Amino acid sequence: MTISAERPVATSGGATTTTERVSWTQRPGIWSQHLGTAIVGAIVGYLLGHWLGNAIASSYPYVQNSGQNVIAVTLGEIFGVAGWLLGIGALNYPLAKLTGRQPAKEVDVQGWSKYFRYSTNHKTVGLQYVVGVLLFLFTGGLLAMAIRTELLNPTTHYFSADTYIKIVSEHGTVMMMMATSIVVGPLGNYLVPLMIGSRRMAFPRIEAFSFWVFTAGYMVIFSALPLGGFPTGWTGYAPLQTQAGPGMIGYLFGFAVIGMGMMAAGFNMAVTIINYRAPGMTWSRVPILVWSLLATSALLTLATPTLFAAGVFGLLDKTAQTAFYVNEHGGSAYLWQNLFWFFGHPEVYIMALPGFGIVGEILPVFTRKPLFAYKVGAAGMIGVALLSFFVWQHHLYQSGINPDMRPLFMLTTELISIPTGFIYLVGMGTLYKAKIRFEIPMLFALALYFNFLIGGVTGVFLSDVPVNVTVHGGFFVLSHFHYTIMGGLLFAFMGGLYYWLPKMTGRMLNKKIGLWHFWTMFVFFNLTFFPMFIIGLLGQPRRVFTYAKNLQGLNDFSSVSAFLLGFSFLIFAFNMVYSLWINPQKAPANPWDSRGLEWQTANPVPSYNFERIPVVLSDPYRYSEPGAPAVADLGDAGLVHAAPQD
Amino acid sequence: MAKVEQGYISTPEEEEFELRAHIGSVWSGGRLFIGMYTFLLASLAYTYFYLRSSNSGNLWRPNHMTAPMSFGWGIVLATALAAVLAVYGQWRFRRGGVADWQVAGWTALALLLGALMLQIWELTKLPFYPGASGYASSFIGWGVFNIATLIVSAYWVETTLARGMRLRTEIGGDRPTLSTHPSAQSFRANVASMTYFMGFVGVGAAFFFALFYLI
Repeated sequence: MTISAERPVATSGGATTTTERVSWTQRPGIWSQHLGTAIVGAIVGYLLGHWLGNAIASSYPYVQNSGQNVIAVTLGEIFGVAGWLLGIGALNYPLAKLTGRQPAKEVDVQGWSKYFRYSTNHKTVGLQYVVGVLLFLFTGGLLAMAIRTELLNPTTHYFSADTYIKIVSEHGTVMMMMATSIVVGPLGNYLVPLMIGSRRMAFPRIEAFSFWVFTAGYMVIFSALPLGGFPTGWTGYAPLQTQAGPGMIGYLFGFAVIGMGMMAAGFNMAVTIINYRAPGMTWSRVPILVWSLLATSALLTLATPTLFAAGVFGLLDKTAQTAFYVNEHGGSAYLWQNLFWFFGHPEVYIMALPGFGIVGEILPVFTRKPLFAYKVGAAGMIGVALLSFFVWQHHLYQSGINPDMRPLFMLTTELISIPTGFIYLVGMGTLYKAKIRFEIPMLFALALYFNFLIGGVTGVFLSDVPVNVTVHGGFFVLSHFHYTIMGGLLFAFMGGLYYWLPKMTGRMLNKKIGLWHFWTMFVFFNLTFFPMFIIGLLGQPRRVFTYAKNLQGLNDFSSVSAFLLGFSFLIFAFNMVYSLWINPQKAPANPWDSRGLEWQTANPVPSYNFERIPVVLSDPYRYSEPGAPAVADLGDAGLVHAAPQD
Repeated sequence: MAKVEQGYISTPEEEEFELRAHIGSVWSGGRLFIGMYTFLLASLAYTYFYLRSSNSGNLWRPNHMTAPMSFGWGIVLATALAAVLAVYGQWRFRRGGVADWQVAGWTALALLLGALMLQIWELTKLPFYPGASGYASSFIGWGVFNIATLIVSAYWVETTLARGMRLRTEIGGDRPTLSTHPSAQSFRANVASMTYFMGFVGVGAAFFFALFYLI
């Protein structure tokens, strides 16, 4: 079925209006469901679960012996999350379905209050995610500042060794949780329907569910701190995990909860991309960001269940006294490592691929050139996604792997650098002989290529068993993954925000402040993390609060740079506040002269995205091509002539 | 006739496009959900074989401890029969036998709830402690996953049946098996996805029954 380019224009006389039933819980106003009721639900749920856990398990011998009722904590967390979801309205629809009724119509609430509700509008969810991931990022960043403060001096300590490792663990976990959703959540939810010419997501309630579960996960993981924290780092290895106190519940259940959000988000995204592409949006016309999000969604959907299962097993070890990860009782600590990294390595690409998708969108716009070898880039993303399932054991080179298996996983790990290289070369090819417009999104895109080159090359070294054995567990690895994740994904995300926020908010971010933000972030990122390669090669281990005296100079340099890197985020926050509220500048509908379909809609984007479902006529990258067809026929709005422009 | 919704006017062609996209979403979403669930259960199977081959401290399965066979047979037969009924029901549904589908569906739901009760009951009657061995831990893991699976299955079956009962009024008395009403088309796609999932659940139950009770 196709929609013809010449479509009938419906007249008001031929239109019918349907009266929809609206649930009282969804009506605007305070007597409905919103963030406030969610908070009340979470508190009541936690107290109820905790009371129930005490009633059930306070007489158990192991609870009495340890003095810690982890069952009460676990039930408190579970009921707390259930109360949160009940309070926000996430369970209204699933419960209504039991009676066979169609769900009550969700009200498209206007004004600020919609951001505090269970909205099924993909643009609202996208903006909710922007705030959510930035909250994750800034709190995780504060913990990073605490880490660097402690490392200013090897002998004068601000924290005890125990507190330090718990801060490190919380920082790593929060950042990893944030990073898995940082593009799929905010940009994916907001932009994918616009980019594929759809008026909606396939499953809007699942989309909203993914966000509110994500926020619940944030609270669960931070609940670990008042419960005493967890000493395992973000990887949660057993047997430390088994020995840890109730704070470990926050980690295990937090990952399980965030995992549910990730699965829901990936599921919805994949189904939307497959089914809701506008007529004419063939696979060879799908924007590269959408390709990257499709590959990411596949990973989210298929790899995350393993993390979820690993978390459930960990919780059972803690509460039901099973022994999945306890060697002495027939379990295996290595089992956790296998399950965790079966998810954990695809997760690396969950974080990397969307970053490349973003810069793949930005480069053609600011070079006015077509995206070089578009199909190779898309194939590279699928290749990376597939291969990422076969590399997890390289995280176990030094533990829990038959040494004879090392060469196989060394091979698969090095193989994955081939499709990754394709993706990288797509960017280089686009930049070749380009007349670049150095706007802020472009600067961030270029920074990604610089940072990722360092992160990628050191990754190739780390894939080799001999090097890995030498530098594993030290600052070299730490620096490597910060270069790939922060230097890659976070720079891309920032570039994406500067690029798309004008579409998302209708306001331009201030360019001067943006330049300050970019240069401080880029310079101090490199000054923070590059010395860590040297520190690592000189033998400083990760997660230890002291180090050899001769490394203090490098550590201090890195710490001061880290503080200034943190300051760069304050500049960004100030830019957001200044540009959106203090001195808002209205954004033109297409400020960057992009051919992308998302830019062909009005500003602000209407709730229905497109007046007519567009008929896509060409791919969005045919810049500077004489006679290139318009991207899409937007129906009544007429043909869109966004190209060619120089 | 065009339809006004949320401030925009959909043309009949657009309505049809949206409907096809929706049906495609139900179809592909159902399959993707099975894929997701496969990875979840595969994690448990991996755990089983990993602990079995590791045999830490010779504590994989001392004295060949086994969960109560009677419960195992009861759970797997009820689940498998529910799956067969779901498949049979859909087969009849496609041929217009809505009543047959409903009877098969409600019976399947009763069997799933029975299996759920048996599974919970079994966990209280185990002849070993949860941490007694690798096998014991894996079995508890299976018990928890099976409870979740049975609840998800029962929910999907029940909501589909309940929807089917209300649908006839909504589509003006037409038979949902033949009606071209959008709700009926969407419903048929949902029935197909639910049936696939039930088939998957049946196969999964048989597989894990073999792992935990027979091998």
